[in-house]
Amino acid sequence: MLEYVLRRLLYMLITLFAVASILFLLFRMLPGEATLQVISPAMDEAVQQRMKAAFGLDKPVWHQYLIYLKNLVSLEWGRSFVSAQEVTAIISYRFWNTLLLMASGLCMTLTLGIGFGIVMAWKRNSPLDVAGTVIGLIFQAAPPFITGLLLLMIMSYRLGLFPTGGMYPPGERPENLIGLLLMPAFWERIVLPTITVGMYYLATPMLVMRDSMLEVLGSDYIELARAKGLKPSTVMFRHAARNALLGVVTLASIMVGFAVGGQVVVESLFSWPGMGQLMVESAASHDYPVAQGTFLMLAILVIGLNFLTDFLYSYLDPRITVSSEGIK
Amino acid sequence: MSRNRVLRVKNLSVRYQTQKGPVHAVNDVTFDVFENEVFGIAGESGCGKSTLIRSLMRLLPDSALVTASEITLSGQNLQSMPDKNFREEILWSKMSLVPQSAMNSLNPVYRVGHQVVEAIQAHRAISKAAARNRVAELFDVVGLQADLMDNYPHEFSGGMRQRAMIAMSLALDPGLIVMDEPTTGLDVLVQERILRRIREIRSQISSSIILITHDIAVIAEMSDRIGVMYGGSLMEQAPAIDLFESPCHPYTLGLKNAFPSIRNKGQELISIPGSPPTLIGESSECSFLERCPFKAEECSKEFPAIEKLAEFHEVRCFRHKEAPKLRELASNKATWLSSN
Repeated sequence: MLEYVLRRLLYMLITLFAVASILFLLFRMLPGEATLQVISPAMDEAVQQRMKAAFGLDKPVWHQYLIYLKNLVSLEWGRSFVSAQEVTAIISYRFWNTLLLMASGLCMTLTLGIGFGIVMAWKRNSPLDVAGTVIGLIFQAAPPFITGLLLLMIMSYRLGLFPTGGMYPPGERPENLIGLLLMPAFWERIVLPTITVGMYYLATPMLVMRDSMLEVLGSDYIELARAKGLKPSTVMFRHAARNALLGVVTLASIMVGFAVGGQVVVESLFSWPGMGQLMVESAASHDYPVAQGTFLMLAILVIGLNFLTDFLYSYLDPRITVSSEGIK
Repeated sequence: MSRNRVLRVKNLSVRYQTQKGPVHAVNDVTFDVFENEVFGIAGESGCGKSTLIRSLMRLLPDSALVTASEITLSGQNLQSMPDKNFREEILWSKMSLVPQSAMNSLNPVYRVGHQVVEAIQAHRAISKAAARNRVAELFDVVGLQADLMDNYPHEFSGGMRQRAMIAMSLALDPGLIVMDEPTTGLDVLVQERILRRIREIRSQISSSIILITHDIAVIAEMSDRIGVMYGGSLMEQAPAIDLFESPCHPYTLGLKNAFPSIRNKGQELISIPGSPPTLIGESSECSFLERCPFKAEECSKEFPAIEKLAEFHEVRCFRHKEAPKLRELASNKATWLSSN
């Protein structure tokens, strides 16, 4: 077990290393001189040279790359070109905001998706089954910025049920995460973006759950469970859903990656101070250190969550044993 | 011979409505199972034997239309019983199942012992510990080590899973155990061991057994009485010895030819040409008509009714009176080839 964990951690590090290297290359391939933001061409030639030297830009690319890696590891991710704040400080604040929204969105998607998927398979071909499929597909086809805008228009502007955006009322920034979670105003504000994200991704787990339920329901052990005289609900949940869940867990780890994409749109729309919004802002203002840090952090998030789902999977399916040779 | 009747099935039919028309999966089947006996049902794949027992256990999909004039288990009328009562009072506690594919009939995500415990606790209000003791006892009966109950199904071999299934079927001392192809899919040695185990268990318990198989050798070895099914109908039923010594239905004759016998060494095996009927649509002719080498004119006009030859020997064939002659003819390969 320990050996397996270590091995998986090693793979994770290799993946991260690859992501970091690609990021390094990407930012150096971008059109335009990145340094223009900081080093103005209007400055004296000697000053420009000195500033380049201070940033290490006078060194060859491979040397810059080594410095970049060393700084990544020692968590010196540089300072924002715009606000001159430490990138790590900016990101660590934003990271939790993104994680909160993403977690609540995915929770909604998975709970509703799995729940409806079970019921739809149970009542196959009923109006409920058809309605579920149609609604799920409509929300999947509608881009989240449309759904989000409609929600904002109806729920916030017309009905005035929810605030229009942000994470807390202006000027009331909480001290820490716990302070934030204790604010009713925070919960009011997380509803609409959660629904937007949750509904957008709903169709996938719902239809996958429905399909794998139908497949499981045709299996021999379900027939035996029924022959044993178990209650239909026991057969449905304890026997069928438990097995059908395995397919959805695999899917969940893939969805985490997609959710990051949706996150960018939703955070911008609801002015949610998360990494998605930060990514857009920093890219727009050519704030490369921040953009680079955000990309890297999102990669870490996705890879980390995939790592966790692997373990969840081996817990749910006893046939998959975590051994030194990896998952079998 | 007066024995207590455990199960009585009278005029049971199962019909499916399909786009091509109605399918008569089971057609007017009548049989009894007595106390402490093994009633074997033989027939080739698709003859309706699995549908028959699934209809008895109410495991068929809603699209199946089951009709019967009588189904009683230990004197209890099963037809009028609501699903909930049937589930709670009949299934497993009075009628249990050893399913066709032991390989896939255990839920892969639960421990084997737990799945037996679950069956026990669904019907008896006893503690988990008591139920586990019962499982240990049952495992011992079928020749599995008790500590295996905490293993997962994938850690069991095919033979072990089949033993576990048999253990599970015995859990509540049901009056009737339905064994649906209990040895199919196992290799010959394991098959022999399982059959021996079933025979041993039989002497220890009082349950009756319905044994369903396409393997004539298995059925001959295990059963007291045998019913031969073809195209959804029970064509002939008789005590095992009678069925093999004086078979009357042409299909039974054909089946006998198709299996090797130790006594008649060097005997050539003869298969029945043709394939089983599709059972689609309404038909008034004998379902074996197309493959029967002895067909007569009346066979295409109506389906022969059940004729009683002796107390437990029944056959559905117009030419049953000519049985000795037919037996003679049936042992000649040319008879079967000329029919098509």
